[in-house]
Amino acid sequence: MNLKFKNKKITGILSVLPENEIKFEDEIENYAFSKSQSMKLKLIMGYNKRRVVKEGTTVSDLCIHGLQHLFDNNQLDKNDIDALILVSQSPDYFIPSTSHVIQGKLGLKTDMVCLDISQACSGYSIGLSQAFMLLDQEDINKVVVVNGDTYSQKVSIQDRGSRPITGDAVSITIVEKSTTDNTIYGAINTDGTGAEALIIPAGGFRTPSTAETAELVQDSKGNTRSLEHLVMKGDDVFNFVQREVPPMVDKILERANVSKDDVDYFMFHQPNKFMLKKLADKMEVPYEKMPNNIVENFGNSNSATIPVNISFNLGEKLLDNSYFLCLAGFGAGLSWSSLLLEVGNLDFCEIINYNN
Amino acid sequence: MEDFIPSIAELLEEETVELTDALDSFEAWDSLTILSMIAFFDSEYNVQLSAEEIENSETILGIKELVESKM
Repeated sequence: MNLKFKNKKITGILSVLPENEIKFEDEIENYAFSKSQSMKLKLIMGYNKRRVVKEGTTVSDLCIHGLQHLFDNNQLDKNDIDALILVSQSPDYFIPSTSHVIQGKLGLKTDMVCLDISQACSGYSIGLSQAFMLLDQEDINKVVVVNGDTYSQKVSIQDRGSRPITGDAVSITIVEKSTTDNTIYGAINTDGTGAEALIIPAGGFRTPSTAETAELVQDSKGNTRSLEHLVMKGDDVFNFVQREVPPMVDKILERANVSKDDVDYFMFHQPNKFMLKKLADKMEVPYEKMPNNIVENFGNSNSATIPVNISFNLGEKLLDNSYFLCLAGFGAGLSWSSLLLEVGNLDFCEIINYNN
Repeated sequence: MEDFIPSIAELLEEETVELTDALDSFEAWDSLTILSMIAFFDSEYNVQLSAEEIENSETILGIKELVESKM
């Protein structure tokens, strides 16, 4: 679906990462793989260290920590928040929505919109698109978009396919009306026939948690997990990304009448280094224009990876400069989405830690 | 397809391979090698294979025929 937004801008990005860091080497004995196979896996996929929460810490904890940091540093006035959008698939509860929990705990005004959006790796562009639409309202001037997950808690320690990439993070993006004339191009795509490519089969209403769903079972590849753990069909996801993302980007550039050379950076979701390099090869984009170092430093945190990528790789440069960015996310759903926009002269763009 | 054999040999970390070789006879035969093959055939031949299809091919010849059937 082609989307187009007028006169909107991002004014700040803050990423919140749990301090707790796990190294790949410390976990390889859990995997049914020889040491040399694991070291090859590390090299090809770009595994190194990742940040994960300790048990009991949720997305709302990280989000409240980040927003309080912005309030304390006078980078955001709590009374200015007209809408809070949380994009996450690790909610605190089934009922109520986590954005409401955050609103209550921070004492935000009641005259505001709170929305939870259930999206994973494709969720950054989707959350921002929703924010742009809300900003068309006369009385909505500032929207806070929070992206993040703590799904490390739902990945088996004996799953070498998913465990070594998993990271937890939350990222806060402030979106406002722009006084200068601009156009932001967007795209959102959906293929629910691929729902099982990335899934946690049990624990929801379809298959509630029972003693059986918690049983650990080994698959044909030697990975052990229960029905309450995330399971990923890695090859299906790889093929889906290589098939759908390059034409989506070509189309959005064509609509904006610009070329790949006009884009300063392709800030993409970070599944692993291997997949990003293959995407860059296929799109004929140099690696330096498509950063791929988030998994090796922090892990893959679903919809937070794009803003973490921006905070980590562009960071302070975005305070005084402006770059033309192409964003793309892709994953569970299946869902793939993109935005093409100028980002710069931000009020803040940094990473802070959460100590739990 | 003239570079098929040398490319497959490289992915399997062998000097050379025969079409009749069984896939599971190679020391480097694991899920990572299968992923490398998926990526290789996608970028070099624009053919998309699943891990299951590659595993079910059993021999190098089986993979060759699988790729050719999708070209």
